[in-house]
Amino acid sequence: MALLSIRNVFKSYFLHGKRIDVLRGVSLDIERGELVSLVGASGAGKSTFLHVLGTLDAPAAGEVFFDGRAVFSMNDAEIAEFRNKTIGFVFQSHYLLPEFTALENVAMPALIQRQDRTGAYTYARELLERVGLGHRVDHRPGELSGGEAQRVALARSLVLKPALLLADEPTGNLDPATGEGIHQLLRDVNRDLGITAVVVTHNETLARSMPRRLRLAAGGVTEA
Amino acid sequence: MHPAERQTVHRWSFIWTGALVALVGFILLGMAISASEAWAEVSAGLGLSLVAWGGVLQVLNGALLAPAGTGGTAQLPTGLLLGGVLVWLAGWGLIASGIRRAPAPAEGLSPAAGASLYPRLARYRDFYWSTLGAYGGGMLLAELVLILLQTVLSSGVPSTDLSAPAQNAGGGLSLPPTLAFALALIAASAVAFVSGFIGASRAQRLSLPEATIGVLYLGLPIPIVLTLMERVPALQLALGYRLREVTYVAGLLGRPELAYWLVFTGLVLALVLGINTGFIAAGSGRVDLKLGFELFVARRHVMVFRPSLLLGTLAVLMFGIIPPLLIYFIIRSAEAAVERTRIRSLGLSDPLAAASDLNRLKLREQSPTMMMTALSVGGVGVGVMALIIVLSVMSGFEADLQQKILGTNAHAVVSRYAGELPDYPKVMESIRRVPGVVGQTPFIINQVMIASEGNVDGVIIKGIDPATVGSVTDLPEYLLGGNKLEILYTPEKILGHGLPGDDEAPAGGSGQEGVEEDDIIRRSGKASKPAVLPGIVIGRELAASLRVVVGDRLNVVSPLGTELGPSGPIPKSRAFRVAGIFYSGMYEYDSKFVYILLKEAQDFFDVEGASGIELKVADIDDARRIAGQVVKVLGGYPYRARDWGEMNKNLFSALRLEKLVMGIILSIIIVVAAGLIVATVIMLVLEKRKEISVLKALGVPDGGIVKIFLAEGLQIGVAGGLLGLFSGLSWCYFIEKVGIKLDPEVYYIPALPVRVEFVQTALAVVIAVLVTYLASIYPALKASSVEPVEGLKAE
Repeated sequence: MALLSIRNVFKSYFLHGKRIDVLRGVSLDIERGELVSLVGASGAGKSTFLHVLGTLDAPAAGEVFFDGRAVFSMNDAEIAEFRNKTIGFVFQSHYLLPEFTALENVAMPALIQRQDRTGAYTYARELLERVGLGHRVDHRPGELSGGEAQRVALARSLVLKPALLLADEPTGNLDPATGEGIHQLLRDVNRDLGITAVVVTHNETLARSMPRRLRLAAGGVTEA
Repeated sequence: MHPAERQTVHRWSFIWTGALVALVGFILLGMAISASEAWAEVSAGLGLSLVAWGGVLQVLNGALLAPAGTGGTAQLPTGLLLGGVLVWLAGWGLIASGIRRAPAPAEGLSPAAGASLYPRLARYRDFYWSTLGAYGGGMLLAELVLILLQTVLSSGVPSTDLSAPAQNAGGGLSLPPTLAFALALIAASAVAFVSGFIGASRAQRLSLPEATIGVLYLGLPIPIVLTLMERVPALQLALGYRLREVTYVAGLLGRPELAYWLVFTGLVLALVLGINTGFIAAGSGRVDLKLGFELFVARRHVMVFRPSLLLGTLAVLMFGIIPPLLIYFIIRSAEAAVERTRIRSLGLSDPLAAASDLNRLKLREQSPTMMMTALSVGGVGVGVMALIIVLSVMSGFEADLQQKILGTNAHAVVSRYAGELPDYPKVMESIRRVPGVVGQTPFIINQVMIASEGNVDGVIIKGIDPATVGSVTDLPEYLLGGNKLEILYTPEKILGHGLPGDDEAPAGGSGQEGVEEDDIIRRSGKASKPAVLPGIVIGRELAASLRVVVGDRLNVVSPLGTELGPSGPIPKSRAFRVAGIFYSGMYEYDSKFVYILLKEAQDFFDVEGASGIELKVADIDDARRIAGQVVKVLGGYPYRARDWGEMNKNLFSALRLEKLVMGIILSIIIVVAAGLIVATVIMLVLEKRKEISVLKALGVPDGGIVKIFLAEGLQIGVAGGLLGLFSGLSWCYFIEKVGIKLDPEVYYIPALPVRVEFVQTALAVVIAVLVTYLASIYPALKASSVEPVEGLKAE
């Protein structure tokens, strides 16, 4: 069974009172362990698609199955728990919580699960060392550079060993060299931890380096 | 046409014409009503329909009237009535036809037609009958619990008015009414809270329609009936006796209706708290009462418990705004000056180090939210502090007054409905067996005129038994100059330390000036031999107004009973000699009460025995119950006993009402502070929009977000409440120890009295915390409704 199956999903958003159908009956399967890139023009609905995959946004119609389970049939608490346990997000901006240190930010998903704090911090510290930030654990996001913050965000998305990693233009705000470091990390994560990843990107080189490439245009998704 | 633009279309000509026609119909109806003189009934019906019971009540009313109204007296103007109704309806029809939906757009089906609607939307329900049942039934149940518990817990107290044994058959415990009320209120609030919790966790929503309907239809009737009971004699007859415990407790406040509605409001509050807690706990689909993570986040967001914020706010509360602010600015500017000098000199040697130091200095500036937080904490603190201080001072006055009243008056008085107690020694013997009675004394009371050489006054004269009066009142201690009441037994000794020479001389004569002795009680001087007269003890104010001193002669004139004089009947009059002067500190008593020997009073007023017996009880709050037991021991009618609360009912209920009103007015400060909290938490929510989205993306459910922001509001409330408690108690301590002088011309006590009562102090803090909790509900709900994608849009 596919890890993620999307069935006939519709989604629209409204701009100045006009309905724009960004997803028109998209159906798609993503297998376990795949590394998928998603490209498309600005405003084509890549982020919306990713949000629907990550249960951040509900579709207007259609279903998303995760491991055979219809995710949008769950209630709010179940969806929140599902999101917490099985999905890791990385966004274009790092979206770290400014009041907390890098270590606390990385451990945050574990704390939301009400895990023991010392255990969570130990693993978070390990992850931060793995992304090369072992020396910056006690810095607040405001004291980190863009590349560092994005690596902290990546570490945060991995702390609960999610089954699915969704990245929305993770290198969009970074210079090419720093961006390449993040790309390498994503590939490592996919290879070493076996985490399925969907990466939305504008970067054609990055897209081409992925085993499976999708293109979103005119409300439909095609293999590219 | 786009769906978003498909709207209502108004045809104003239709609407205006319709309104005019309806108005004409209304006028016609009004004429019909006037013609049949039915305005009272109609407006009563309209008023009832406001509380949503109108329809039901009108049907009932009609059903009850139908058999009786066959021989209707008033001629109904049928034509006018019918015409009016038709015209009125026609008007509304016109108005309705003037408001129409625009025709549906001729646009084809959307591409999604036929696709399955995503199931969560499809399964969503809007109205839960079970939740309505829980809310409404819970309110009704809470009210019934309150009334029943109150009755059961305190009805064991035998009534003091009518024959007791017959009434006590119902059984029940015999707690003091106020304690019973407290217990009943706690139980009822718990019921309301739990039913709110159950209803909300069942629906997983706040379910406002259900709550409104439940409270309106099932919660309102009981307080309405109780309120109407004061006005409608039929209701009073039907229910008054069964609800006597409830009305008694409400009557303690002076205004029973106010009490009913306050209690009702309290129960609604408990229901709302329960609804909210139920929603937070179970709103996201499962019950989760843990708070660890939410508090962890909330603490970082507001950081209320910082020493600088707490100390600063406390300083403002204790010393006012200006002095701490001045000191703060002086310290800050001195510090800044020192720091700048240091950085400048550092810059001469190491510019980079200086730059980073300068940067650190800038980082210390505070955000506006921090300022708002401090302000809200201060606001709640001011409210709590004011409540504690004012209520404590009022309690001080009340306690002082109560002490003064009970010092002069008995805790309870036993008498007969009519006539005197000729066999009072026997009655006293029976009363002695009642547990809780620690003292008793017989007395005779009457109103007389009292006249000195220069003045005359109307007073209350009391015949007392000097041997036992001290066991009931503090009169012996109030006597000035070390006099003893026992001197009344030996009138011939009064002059022994009385005035020298002529007792007929006006008091305060010129010869006494310059002599070092007390003005009022002159103890020096030699005795002479004037006539021996029975003694009388009067108050200091009366002595001053009559211008008499100890040893002076007074004439007591009774308007009741006459003696036959040479020229026909004259009022009964008798001469007394001032044997002592007392000072109780209550102007009313010091100017109105005079005491003579019981035996003298018996002679003077032709009374056999005594008017009644005054009792002192061990616990004054238990006086009502003990009085009831005394009556029981005496065998009920014709004996009756009234406790001090009943005898001074108006005074104490006025005091209580005053305190309550003060409390409500001062609570407005807390409500204003709650407004500040709403603003602060809303600012926080707006500031943290992005963080809320991120937290949701990381897997925090809606309930968790609500908890985070509630915790933020609550932290402000708790911090403010504790600061207010601390500063309020400090101020009370200061007033008590240092004292604030009162103008003796106006007040009967020299300094502001303070009595910190535990319950009302705790209540002030609890109310503040509850109000902040309620205030943060709205912003917290707003926070939870932030859609994750909203804050995650790429900038």
